[in-house]
Amino acid sequence: MTLPEFFGCTFLAFGPPLAMFIFTIAHDPIRIIILIAAAFVWLLSLLLSSLMWFAIVPLRDFTAFGLVFSVIFQESFRFLIYKILRKTEKGLQEVANSPQIIANKHILAYVSGLGFGIISGLFALMNILADAAGPATFGLKIGSPTFLLTSSTQTLLMILLHTFWSVIFFDSVDNSKHAKTAYVVVSHLFVSVMTLLNTSEMYTLTIGSSVVVTIITGIMAFITAGGSFVTFKRFATCK
Amino acid sequence: MDSHALILIVLLSLIVNGNNCQRTKDKMFSSIVGSSCFKRLNATHETGCTSSYGGSVGVLHYIKTPDDFEFVLKDPPSPPYAVMVTPQLFTREYLIRLKDSPHISTIVLIKSVNETLAQFSQELKCPNQFSGIDSNSCDIDKPETIWNPYGTGLLHENFPFPIYYVSEEAEIAKLVDCFDKFNSFDVANQHNRPLCSIQVNSFMSAAVNSEVCLRRTNYANNLSATRFCDPLQSRNIFATLFPRETVSQEDRKVQKDEKLVLVTARIDTTSMFDGIGAGAMDSLIPFATIVSTAHLLAKLLPEREASNNSNVLFVLFNGESYDFIGSQRFVYDINKGYFPSKIQATNQISFENIVMMIDIGLLDDLHRFTVFHVEEFKAATDLVKLLETYSQKFAFNISTTSKVTQNLPPTSAQSFLRENRTFPAMVLSSNPLNRFYHSIFDDQDNIKFKYFNTTQDFTVAAAINNTMGFPADSIQMAIRNASTVLAAALYEKVTEHTYRGNQGSNLILIDELLYCFLISSDCPLFRAAGPKNMPARPEAPPPPRYVSVQGLYTHETARWTFRIFGFLIGQTVPIEEQNCTVLPMFWFPGFNGTGSCHYTTQNFSQAYSPAFVEENYDWKSGKYSTWTESTWRELNARIFLKPSSTHEAKTLAVGFVVMIVSFVLVFLFNSKSDILFGDCVSSENTLTNPAHC
Repeated sequence: MTLPEFFGCTFLAFGPPLAMFIFTIAHDPIRIIILIAAAFVWLLSLLLSSLMWFAIVPLRDFTAFGLVFSVIFQESFRFLIYKILRKTEKGLQEVANSPQIIANKHILAYVSGLGFGIISGLFALMNILADAAGPATFGLKIGSPTFLLTSSTQTLLMILLHTFWSVIFFDSVDNSKHAKTAYVVVSHLFVSVMTLLNTSEMYTLTIGSSVVVTIITGIMAFITAGGSFVTFKRFATCK
Repeated sequence: MDSHALILIVLLSLIVNGNNCQRTKDKMFSSIVGSSCFKRLNATHETGCTSSYGGSVGVLHYIKTPDDFEFVLKDPPSPPYAVMVTPQLFTREYLIRLKDSPHISTIVLIKSVNETLAQFSQELKCPNQFSGIDSNSCDIDKPETIWNPYGTGLLHENFPFPIYYVSEEAEIAKLVDCFDKFNSFDVANQHNRPLCSIQVNSFMSAAVNSEVCLRRTNYANNLSATRFCDPLQSRNIFATLFPRETVSQEDRKVQKDEKLVLVTARIDTTSMFDGIGAGAMDSLIPFATIVSTAHLLAKLLPEREASNNSNVLFVLFNGESYDFIGSQRFVYDINKGYFPSKIQATNQISFENIVMMIDIGLLDDLHRFTVFHVEEFKAATDLVKLLETYSQKFAFNISTTSKVTQNLPPTSAQSFLRENRTFPAMVLSSNPLNRFYHSIFDDQDNIKFKYFNTTQDFTVAAAINNTMGFPADSIQMAIRNASTVLAAALYEKVTEHTYRGNQGSNLILIDELLYCFLISSDCPLFRAAGPKNMPARPEAPPPPRYVSVQGLYTHETARWTFRIFGFLIGQTVPIEEQNCTVLPMFWFPGFNGTGSCHYTTQNFSQAYSPAFVEENYDWKSGKYSTWTESTWRELNARIFLKPSSTHEAKTLAVGFVVMIVSFVLVFLFNSKSDILFGDCVSSENTLTNPAHC
C-alpha cells in the first residue's frame, strides 16, 4: 500500500475512535485508566483464545472454530471487566474528580467498551497495515483493490460495535435483562462469522450485514443510555 | 478477512497451513528470481548499476519490437517505467537512450528461448585497452585491430538504475502474464487503473571511484566497520612440471642456472550479472587446453631426462578480465623477489630464469592459431615451426602463423611486456570469433559442448588415434588436438629432442573438465581431486569463475584448480595414506576412489593488485589494476500492483472525510449529551456547560 492509501485507511478506521477518545476520554484520568484496563482485559481474552487454538491441534485449520471460541472468550472477559468495575466502584468514587462517572453508570460501560474496541481494532488492522507496507496494492494474485478499504471499514464498525455492546451488556447485567445479554453475544457471533465470507471476497455482504448490525446495536445502546426519539429530536433542533 | 477472523489468522498463522492463512504480504507481492547487475569501480570511474535506496519501482512495459521503445521514451502516461527487454534488443543504441531518459527506473532482461541471438557481449571492443603495452594499437575505428568485435561496452557504462536478468521460464511467465493481464491493453489510458509494477532492490553502497570508496571504507576515517567496496582479488595457481629443489626459508635465493618455460592462461571470466557467466569460449577453452597440456606433459615426462632440461611453470592467472590483476601481481612479486612466497620453501624465481613465455590467449578458433609477439626472436619462430610440424605429424589440421605486432590480444603477456619490452613472451591465440565474449550467454551452447559421460579413466594419457567415441568436430576433440600439439612442442623444448610417442591428451579428461566448469561441480573430476569422502551434491552449480572479492565462499574455482593441478601434474608416489600428509605429499581419492599419494608441485600466489599493496600509490597513474566491487545488502526483485493515483486519492479522501465528520459529530454529541440522553439534571458535562433545555 502506498502512503496515501496508508493514511486513508488509518484515518478511516481510527479517526472516529480518536475523536471519541479526545472529546470524551482524554480529559479524565480515571477514564483513561479504565480504557487501558479494558484493553488489557481484551488482550487476556485474545491470549486465552490463542492458547486454546494452539492446544487443540486438529482444529487449527478451521478458522470458524477458533473464531467462535474467541467470541465466547471476549464476551466472558467483558463480563469480567464488568464485575471488576462494579466491585471497584466505591474506590473509584474516592479518587474520581467528578461524581458523574459513578452517577451515570453508562459512562463506565462506554469507556470500557471503547477500550475493547480500540485494542481489537488495532490488532485487526495493524497487521494488515504493517504487512502491506510498500508500493503495492491488492489484486495481483487474489484479493481486490478494495480490500484495504473494506478492512478499514470493518475495523471501524467493530470498534463502534464493541462500544455499543458494552453499554448494552453492562446495563442488561445490571438489570438482569437476559435477552439483551443474549443479543450482544449473538450479534457479536453473527458479525464475526460473517467476516469468514471475506475469504470468498463477498465484501459487500459482510460490510452490509455489519453496517446493519452496527446501526441496530447503536440504536439499542442509545436507548439503553437514556436516549429516545424525543431526545434526539430535541438534540437536532435545540440551539 | 477482518476483525476476529483476521486477528486469529494473522497472529497465529505462522504454523497453520490453509487457504486462510497466507500473509497479507504474500497476496500483494510475488518475488522474481533473477540476477542483478552490480557496481564496480576503478581509479577514475564507476561502472555498473544500482537501484535507489530501498529499491527502484517501475511500471512493467514489455518491449516486443523496437517501436515499443518510443512509447516509454516519449512522454508515457504513468512514469517511471521498468522496461522488459529480450537480449536481441539489449543493444548499446537502445540502452544509452534508456539511460538518458527520465522515465526509466529499471531494466528487466528476460531470456528469450525461441529466438536466436546473433551476438551479445557487454565487454569493450578493446578489453583492458589501457593496461596493455600500447593503448593505441587497438583502435575501435579499425575493425582488424579490435579483440572483441561484438562488444558493446555496456559493462563499462554507469547506469543510474538497476538491470535485472531473469532466466527461468516460470519467472519470465510471471512477468509476462502480469504485464498482459494488467498493462498491455489500452496503454494510453493505463494510468487510470492499477498497473503491474516491479521493484528491484540492488542498492550499491560504493560511489565515485576506488580511491574515494576505499578511503571511506578505511576504519580510521569512518570509525565503523562499514565497508563500501572491496578490491577484486583472488589467487593465481601455478605448478611446475618437475618438482623444484626444496630449500630452507633462510637459504632461499635466485638460482641463476634454473631454466623455466612459462606457460600461462587465465582462469577467470566475467559478465554483467552477478553469479552468471560460464565464460566457456572466452576463457574455459584456454583453461582446459593448459590443464590437459600439463597433464599430458606430466605423463610423458615423469622426471627429467637430462639434468639440464628446463622446467615448465604452468600459471593460471586470476582477475585478468579486470586489467590483468593476477599477472600484474605476478610480475610485481617476481621483481620484488616474493615469488614463490616465503613459506613455500623453494628458491625465488627471477626474470632471468624464464627462458620464454607461452601465453594462451583467445582460442575461439582451435584450428588456426597465430603466435603474436612484439619482437622477432628465435623461440617464437621455433614454436610456430614446432606447432606446424606436430600438427602435420598427427594430421590435426591446425595451422599456425607468426605475427609481430604491438597489437597483442588482451592477455597476461601484456603485463610482462609492459615491464620489459624485450621479454621473450609470445601469445598463442586465434582471431576473435566469440559473439558472447564476457557475457551470460558464453555457455556450453556457445562452444557446442555435449557431455559424453564416458565414466572411463581420465587420468591416463591416451593414444592419439583412439577417438573414444568423440566425433571429429566436437569441442573435446578440438581441445585435445590443440593441447596435444602444444604438449609435444613443449616436450621438444624441454628435452631438446623430437617427440616420437603416440600418446596424446585424454579426451575424457577434457570432457570431464568442461562438465565440471560448465554444468555441475558435482562431477567425477572434482570427486577424484577433491577431499576424501566428499558428499554428493546433485545439481550443484559449476564453480563461479568471476574473480570476485575476498570472502568466506569466494575463490571456489581457485581452490578446485589448485587440487586439479596437484592431482593431474603431481606424480604418484608409493606412500601410505597415513604418511601422505605433509606437503608436497598430498593424498587424492583418485578416479576410482582407491586413492593415491601425489608428489605435488602446485601452489597459490596472490592475485591482488599491487595498487592496494603499495603505499602512496598514485591512483591516476594507471600503472596497476584498481578495480573494486561495491558491497550491497540484497539483490532481489518482486512484482506487485501499483494503485492508480485516482485510487490513492479516493482512499485518502474517504479516510479524511470520515475522520473530520466524526470529529464534528462526536463533539456535538458530547457537548449536547445531556439533551441527547435525556437527563439534563443528573449529568454534568465537563467540557461544556449544560445547554439550556
